[in-house]
Amino acid sequence: AVARTPSRRPGMAEAEGDAGLEQGLGPAAEGAELAAVIGATVPTGFEQTAAEEVQEKLGSASRISRDRGKIYFEVPARSLPQVHRLRSVDNLFVVVQEFKDYQFKENKEEALKDLEDLVKKLPWTDPLKVWELNNSLKKKKTKRKKHNLQSPASREKPSDGGEEGGADQSTTNDQDCAQNSVAVEPTGGQDTENPQGVMARNGVEKEEEEEDNEPPDVKGEVQADSESGTKAGDGQTGEEEAKVLKFRVTCNRAGDKHSFASNEAARDFGGAVQEHFQWKADMTNFDVEVLLNIHNNEVVVGIALTEESLHRRNITHFGPTTLRSTLAYGMLRLCDPQPTDIIVDPMCGTGAIPIEGAAEWPCCYHIAGDNSPQAVKRAANNICSLLRKNESKDSSTALGVPLDVIQWDICSLPLRTGSVDIVVTDMPFGKRIGSKKKNWDLYPACLMEMGRICTPGTGRAVLLTQDKKCFAKALSRVGHIWRRAQTVWVNVGGLHAAVYLLRRTWERAEERRSFW
Amino acid sequence: PLPPKLGRPSELPPEPGPGYEGDEEFLRRLHHVLLELEVLEGSLQCPDSGRRFPISRGVPNLLLSEDEA
Repeated sequence: AVARTPSRRPGMAEAEGDAGLEQGLGPAAEGAELAAVIGATVPTGFEQTAAEEVQEKLGSASRISRDRGKIYFEVPARSLPQVHRLRSVDNLFVVVQEFKDYQFKENKEEALKDLEDLVKKLPWTDPLKVWELNNSLKKKKTKRKKHNLQSPASREKPSDGGEEGGADQSTTNDQDCAQNSVAVEPTGGQDTENPQGVMARNGVEKEEEEEDNEPPDVKGEVQADSESGTKAGDGQTGEEEAKVLKFRVTCNRAGDKHSFASNEAARDFGGAVQEHFQWKADMTNFDVEVLLNIHNNEVVVGIALTEESLHRRNITHFGPTTLRSTLAYGMLRLCDPQPTDIIVDPMCGTGAIPIEGAAEWPCCYHIAGDNSPQAVKRAANNICSLLRKNESKDSSTALGVPLDVIQWDICSLPLRTGSVDIVVTDMPFGKRIGSKKKNWDLYPACLMEMGRICTPGTGRAVLLTQDKKCFAKALSRVGHIWRRAQTVWVNVGGLHAAVYLLRRTWERAEERRSFW
Repeated sequence: PLPPKLGRPSELPPEPGPGYEGDEEFLRRLHHVLLELEVLEGSLQCPDSGRRFPISRGVPNLLLSEDEA
């Protein structure tokens, strides 16, 4: 393999740190030159926001599919490290092929047979190279992590796969979002339980945590063992052991005109995949996860590039209603933070939003507050974890984080009138925290107080709530302070919620309190 | 690391002086106190009422009691 220095391109930051990607990786180095079509799952409703992040950080335009919660964009495969650093994305996959208008046969057997026949016609080669390149990325981080911790990774990880995606599917008429595997008779004989294969997966789990602050290790040595070499379908020689890849198929199906269910499609498609590649089917310890996404007549075949969703990345101490980081990021982006903005989350819970804010918008000052002592303690702990992550890079002092936590009462905020640029929060839903009746009183009081602290004219608020009726009523009462600029319909843990972007009017709030 | 006692008269004046925006020395000290020092244990005092609010493990508690609210 030839080591190449990747050239700088506009929109591609930090390219030189990833030079190590291509050195000595053999067949995977070819993959770096490819143009990869990447599919990304994002919180439903925030497709546009995610597309903007992709444009900003990767210089690529995105397509937003009709299958909500997914965007597609093309990047050179060497940009994979930057792709993994996107903050609005839950999961990533490389597209094998997309069918905009696939005609399904009405008869179930025929429709399924068509899917089986499809397998050998698909252009697997390049996407598999991208998958392999992506794998070698993960391994570098595994090895580095092992050096740091010096502890063998031996945890069993429950695979999360399609279930996460399932929760985000819009509730259409007839929908199968079950995560399925192939129920295929195991091929006779060779059950080489390669422990290395298991390690890779555990390594990935750790990798998800470390991702945001460890720069790629340019000096990473190449492993001599067989893992990185084997490519399915290629007669790969020169390796000590020919490792048979393990795979599973996950099918998501939505639409009311299909004659088959997702598990049937997964089963038959998987059978054909196994035939074609001679891979071994394995539900839990797979190397390759093939995705079969069917949304009415739109069919996308892909290969997963992430295993565990990125959305809990910043949070080590969970609370009962911790918001996922990708949703927090989307909400923050919506209010377009500018350098020196003061951003307040007055009901911060475990601090998901301010922590995401401080990480991604370090030129703003973030204040997190809550009345609950448990919440405040968890938020403080999460910030400490963040500080500790930063610390491992520098031996001396840790870089501070522009973020503070305070215990306070949302209806009596110890902040001066008009001193805050942005208020962003996840308002109590009344299902898991508080109650619907409490919301009737809380919402108007909140909006008034948030209106008071917010800068007239330029200030804005981004508020997530499931209690849309209550919110609308409360908003109608404070029309002199807030006006609705945009509404994003989202799905939070299976509940239909809304994110409201509000703009502060020019009207000054009355100075009704002299206590502060 | 233990933070030094805040608000030492030698460190910061009681109010920003005229033209403070251009006084780099002052701005450095202000930046340090605002963004680089963290009070782990202590209190904040309201300049109007004199009421003290405790800071514990870096987190100030600014909840008012029932009768204060």
